[in-house]
Amino acid sequence: MITVTDKASAIMAGLKRAYQADAVVAHEGALEVRICAGTACHASGRPAVTAAFKEELAARGLADKVRVVETGCHGFCEQGPIVVLQPKGIFYARVRADDVAKIIAASIEGDGFHEKRLYRDPQSGEPIPYEKDIPFYTGQRRLVLALNGKVDPYSIDDYLSQGGYKALAGVLADNDPEDVIESITASGLRGRGGAGFTTGTKWHLTRLSAGDEKYVICNADEGDPGAFMDRSVLEGNPHVVIEGMIIAAFAIGASEGYVYVRAEYPFAVDRLRHALDQARQRGILGPSVLGSDFAFDVFVNEGAGAFVCGEETALMQSIEGKRGMPRTRPPYPAVSGLWGKPTNINNVETYANVPWILTHGADEFFAMGIDKSRGTKIFSLTGKVANGGLVEVPMGSTLRHVIFTVGGGMLPGREFKAVQLGGPSGGCLPADMLDTPIDYEILTASGAIVGSGGLVVVDDTTCMVDLARFFLQFTQDESCGKCVPCRLGTKRMLETLERICEGEGREGDIALLEELSHYIIDGTLCALGGTAPNPVLTTLKYFRHEVEAHIDEKCCPAGRCKALITYYIDAEACTGCMLCAKKCPTNCITGEKKQPHVIDTAACIKCDTCRQVCNFDAVKVRSGIKADATAEKA
Amino acid sequence: MLGMLKALKTTVRHLPMKKITVQYPEEREQLPERSRGLFRTIIDPASDDPRCRACTLCETNCPVQVIRVNYESKYELPAPNEARIAAVRADLQPKPDLALLGPILDEYRDAGWGMMAVLQHTQEAYGYLPRLALTEIAVQTGTSLSQLYGVVSFYNQFRLSPVGKHIITVCHGTACHVAGAPLITAAFSEELGIEVGKTTKDRLFTLQAVSCVGACALAPVVRVGDDDTHGRMTPDKARSLVRDLRKLEGLE
Repeated sequence: MITVTDKASAIMAGLKRAYQADAVVAHEGALEVRICAGTACHASGRPAVTAAFKEELAARGLADKVRVVETGCHGFCEQGPIVVLQPKGIFYARVRADDVAKIIAASIEGDGFHEKRLYRDPQSGEPIPYEKDIPFYTGQRRLVLALNGKVDPYSIDDYLSQGGYKALAGVLADNDPEDVIESITASGLRGRGGAGFTTGTKWHLTRLSAGDEKYVICNADEGDPGAFMDRSVLEGNPHVVIEGMIIAAFAIGASEGYVYVRAEYPFAVDRLRHALDQARQRGILGPSVLGSDFAFDVFVNEGAGAFVCGEETALMQSIEGKRGMPRTRPPYPAVSGLWGKPTNINNVETYANVPWILTHGADEFFAMGIDKSRGTKIFSLTGKVANGGLVEVPMGSTLRHVIFTVGGGMLPGREFKAVQLGGPSGGCLPADMLDTPIDYEILTASGAIVGSGGLVVVDDTTCMVDLARFFLQFTQDESCGKCVPCRLGTKRMLETLERICEGEGREGDIALLEELSHYIIDGTLCALGGTAPNPVLTTLKYFRHEVEAHIDEKCCPAGRCKALITYYIDAEACTGCMLCAKKCPTNCITGEKKQPHVIDTAACIKCDTCRQVCNFDAVKVRSGIKADATAEKA
Repeated sequence: MLGMLKALKTTVRHLPMKKITVQYPEEREQLPERSRGLFRTIIDPASDDPRCRACTLCETNCPVQVIRVNYESKYELPAPNEARIAAVRADLQPKPDLALLGPILDEYRDAGWGMMAVLQHTQEAYGYLPRLALTEIAVQTGTSLSQLYGVVSFYNQFRLSPVGKHIITVCHGTACHVAGAPLITAAFSEELGIEVGKTTKDRLFTLQAVSCVGACALAPVVRVGDDDTHGRMTPDKARSLVRDLRKLEGLE
């Protein structure tokens, strides 16, 4: 007879086997060059920087002493490509290939810094050499992202050496699925994909469902425009998601798992596939997980560019090879999901939280956050903010903390106008709502939502009506067409908003929009339709004056809506450098050298090129009936 | 000619009739309270056949799943018409090499690939989904071509016509929109002389918009092909990007 201790030691032996002792792994104190290999840093020139480091280190005979690691996303995407030198923790931002030699000379061979590429505080301009001192990182609490930027996503040994898969081994050794579900419930973890359903309850319901075959699905179809945390987790540390999925599968008794990931994320797909292969080779996935009698395997399904497939029932239709259209619930996936079998479906971030909770204990997780929102949440902070990137903060932090402490405030010279939360299902909150804590219930009451975690900061040059129109355009494009209120209602709303942006808004349009919004919310099956009017409703709630200005005065206060604006050149500021005239695609700018230029408004296509190229801010925009009248007088 | 006259006749016949379309939401029709309408299949008076083609779209779409479609329809398409359409369409597209489908369909049978993976790999092999290849997949997997078409037309990723050599993708995520993505798209479309989603006549450029590539910190973002990403774009940079690519092709 096999005793419990025998079984546990077999599992620990399995974990040891998975961890190959001779593997080269990152460890504290070693000389390392960690280069961020996230999508943003890649686009800003990461491959050239890596090549330069390898070449330069070899040329200086340091190739054996210093290891060059391409890690996952560091989160500070604004400053890419990012290079961190360990063990000192020196942080270099916006590194170019020709800086590499100077960085090696100054910081690896010497004891100083290459000042030019050090991160500088956006307000004071003072350089901050060490990663641990940068406000962007000190203001965060990183659980899920803890290993991002520390491990090589292509190396399972890196993850194992940082204590990876220990939580799984512990769970398998204890062999008590109920206990796992209890811990997750006690931690207060809620779905990070947007709806915020309690994860423990979901697992419990799936476990209770009858059926010998069950499935676990990881939803990585991150379609919200302006959100990229799932991508960064999968790119930076795919194993933590796999570990979370295996634990979930063990808890509910599933034998197969699927990751449904967007095809637009080629790096994430590649790294995930690689990680799964490694896990299979090391006996972490397969017929006997870590030598136990639990069998589990994970398959990758690539999405095909349909936003609605982020909805759980539509996602399962898509995996089955059908049109991704949501269906009625109940029955919930926990009862009848993929191929009609009980299915547990969670977001990437939710699974990534699981190993941490089981290692550190549910109480420690519960200690962070307020009320019913516990733990941390990752936000992708973008827009007109100084330090955009990936931000993980405890629940209950205020929006002000995220935007101004972690994000470093607005870009120089910009004024905060609003923050857009939760993408096309969320809403815009104005400046006086900045002290709102991040909490599922409080944010929903304000009209916005926590959602998947997109946080787009906009300044006074963004037209709120145009932004609402943009989101509606998005939902209109992505509506699957199943429910009439969503398919046609959003179309009618979009037409109304387009009319307003074109300067043909009519009295009563606002009331019409509000009425249609409520019909759409009431009359649709899934969350896409049910939340589609949110951007419009919050705009009407907090920025009504701006909508009214469009309708009543035919004026776009932000100077964005093409039909309502005219470009002109401020004769006093214009130096007559001729740059705008040269760049104008329609040649509608005329003027002599060193004389103020003039725009022929009839020929102007309002492409904004002149305003962007002007070095003296002489190209201006005016809007509205009043402005035109004063201009004519002048 | 005859067809046009027939259509004209129908138009003229309908001209004096009362208009039944209501300009919702400005105008409203008075419905009895709690009205849910009624279902019925329309029977063609000429042939006594139902107009329903058993496309199963209503079955898929019904929110409360009260519709079941009986697949055993006696309706058949008139044969000569279909052959003509097939011939015309096949001529329009270059003939695809069906041998490329072999390994993909083997995987479908052996490794249990889903239909999505089959279609994705087919598109990877040909660059788009040729009609003949779709017919082949339908025959070999036992699905109907119309059902395949339903899946293909649902997802943005699938293309039914060949694309240009350089695919220019403009990101239209929130961050990019706020940073001026519409101006970038307008600049591209003016410079290339095509609308979004179209391909230039010389099959060099395809312009498309995507909802988010997830590189928001570099907004506005433009991607050429799969890997060449350009951040912090301006309309001016967009125009010179096209010119550079044209130069690369030896056009200018």
